[in-house]
Amino acid sequence: MVEHRRFGNLLPHLVLLVGVLIVAFPVYMAIIASTHDQAVIANGQMPLTPGSQAYENYYRTIVAGTTKTTRAPVGGMLLNSLIMALGIAAGKIAISIISAFAIVFFAFPFRMAAFWTIFITLMLPIEVRIYPTYKIVSDLNMLDSYAGLILPLIASATATLLFRQFFMTIPKELVEASKIDGAGPLRFFKDTLLPLSVTNIAALFVILFIFGWNQYLWPLLITTRDDMQTIVIGIKKIIDVHDALTEWQIAMATAVLAMLPPVAIVVFMQRLFVKGLIETEK
Amino acid sequence: MADVVLKDVRKIYVGGFEAVKGVSFTVPDGGFCVLVGPSGCGKSTLLRMVAGLETVSDGEIRIGERRVNELEPMERDIAMVFQNYALYPHMSVFDNMAYGLKNRGTPKAEIETRVNEAARILELGALLTRKPRQLSGGQRQRVAMGRAIVRKPAAFLFDEPLSNLDAKLRVQMRIEIRKLQRSLGTTSIYVTHDQLEAMTLADRLVVMNGGRMEQVGTALEVFEKPATTFVAGFIGSPPMNFLPASVEAPGRLRLAGGASLAYDPAVSGAPEGAKVLAGLRPETVAIVAAGQQGQNQSQSTWPRLKIELIEELGMGRLVHGRISESAFTVAQGPSEARPQGADFVIEVAPRAIHLFDAASGARL
Repeated sequence: MVEHRRFGNLLPHLVLLVGVLIVAFPVYMAIIASTHDQAVIANGQMPLTPGSQAYENYYRTIVAGTTKTTRAPVGGMLLNSLIMALGIAAGKIAISIISAFAIVFFAFPFRMAAFWTIFITLMLPIEVRIYPTYKIVSDLNMLDSYAGLILPLIASATATLLFRQFFMTIPKELVEASKIDGAGPLRFFKDTLLPLSVTNIAALFVILFIFGWNQYLWPLLITTRDDMQTIVIGIKKIIDVHDALTEWQIAMATAVLAMLPPVAIVVFMQRLFVKGLIETEK
Repeated sequence: MADVVLKDVRKIYVGGFEAVKGVSFTVPDGGFCVLVGPSGCGKSTLLRMVAGLETVSDGEIRIGERRVNELEPMERDIAMVFQNYALYPHMSVFDNMAYGLKNRGTPKAEIETRVNEAARILELGALLTRKPRQLSGGQRQRVAMGRAIVRKPAAFLFDEPLSNLDAKLRVQMRIEIRKLQRSLGTTSIYVTHDQLEAMTLADRLVVMNGGRMEQVGTALEVFEKPATTFVAGFIGSPPMNFLPASVEAPGRLRLAGGASLAYDPAVSGAPEGAKVLAGLRPETVAIVAAGQQGQNQSQSTWPRLKIELIEELGMGRLVHGRISESAFTVAQGPSEARPQGADFVIEVAPRAIHLFDAASGARL
């Protein structure tokens, strides 16, 4: 329904504006708070204009860290989070695209059984299988390591399903033409399937990166060393102090920093992301 | 360059369904063989078995000197053109054509010459950098052809390549395919359900029905001497008319309605008293107004035609009606007069009548 009345656009704009304000205001507050010093925030009258401490706060957050709680600078946490999120996103895509390739293009015994097994794990989030997973990771000596952070999270039923649906729309003549053109399964995968899946991969990457970035419970469980903490845990620890004032300016700076990479990913990949979700180009 | 030989080829699917029930024919080197039949007759399955996309349940397929039953598609030295073109959507026209050569490790310089040569033949030169989605249907079809010819295979396999094109383009591409095949001299097998396409393209026509071969021959042979009622009804447009009859005496048929019809006993040897189907091509039949001047005595026994509908085609017309209970169509040429009145008989040369066994449908 598209209307072109003169004031017809006014109301929708108003509604959107209110929506944006509600969503954006807390973010704005976080940014403002990260530019003041501790005393300004602690006196209970939070200003709405930027303060003068931005450089000091961010410098301290990234490089020095809060000595009391996290005992590690946020710069390192950012790096940890980045490695974990990238690892999870890349791993999930790699594994699920290969699984979907096998399920769709090969005929082997128990193919549907394999597919349904994968599908059923869709209903098993990490929280449900957390104890056995922890046991395995600890037995493999992967606590406090990037491998331990990434590996248990990289199997993805959702992504497998998505790739499967996409692969099933590829005409079978294309597979046959490849066969006649002398491309074996791997070459077909590399030369035809991957290029056709680029937009799907991009869309999934955005979703999975944010999923990985926001992981809380799993990293909390298996990281004990300060230098292995992720930023999401860092925020929690900075806020959670005993016998002292919470350093809100540092917490807010950390929150802002934690927001940036996902935002950057969405902004830069938005075009591909939308294309991947809505377009099927054949 | 090679001939293609099929020997008693069968396809039985896992469920027990027999799609191809023992087909044997030979396509000579450089020949153009068309498999034609209604959908589900096994023609595509047969072609896909030659291509190596379906396994052969029984029998043997040879391309040239080699038995290819167990070979992978790429080892069979064939190229295939698909109905939906099956171009790689992310590759340029050049890459689409070059892909098969690249996979075979052909040197870059040679790929370039071969693709450019194919592009020149197919007039695709200006389109080499385009993607398939930027091309029209006819151009895509050409690219699919180009992909086949750059490889210089032993045989071309066409799977209804013109079905996705509009009628005008189809005629044009049909002519181009035939010219191209002639000039390249590559053995070809072509699958279609369109009898006109089959007639115009084939050196050798294989008419299939229900997984069996009904008849093999040149287009003209098949048209003039159809082996069964199926072939007679399938080849030719509008299709042949069939009238149930019995042989009264050599050279004379008695139709169901009591009318009689003369046939040439030299053409069809049917025993006296046999139940037959008389096949009359619509274009060999003339309509005569009954009870008009010029009437002779025998006319009273000629089959009466009750006209139901007349379709004007511009280059003639189709007269649809009934002779006793059987539907009957007459194709009139542009010079013939549109039938006026209500009472008609048909006249047909005795030589133009085909006789088939009423029970088996086989030609007598």
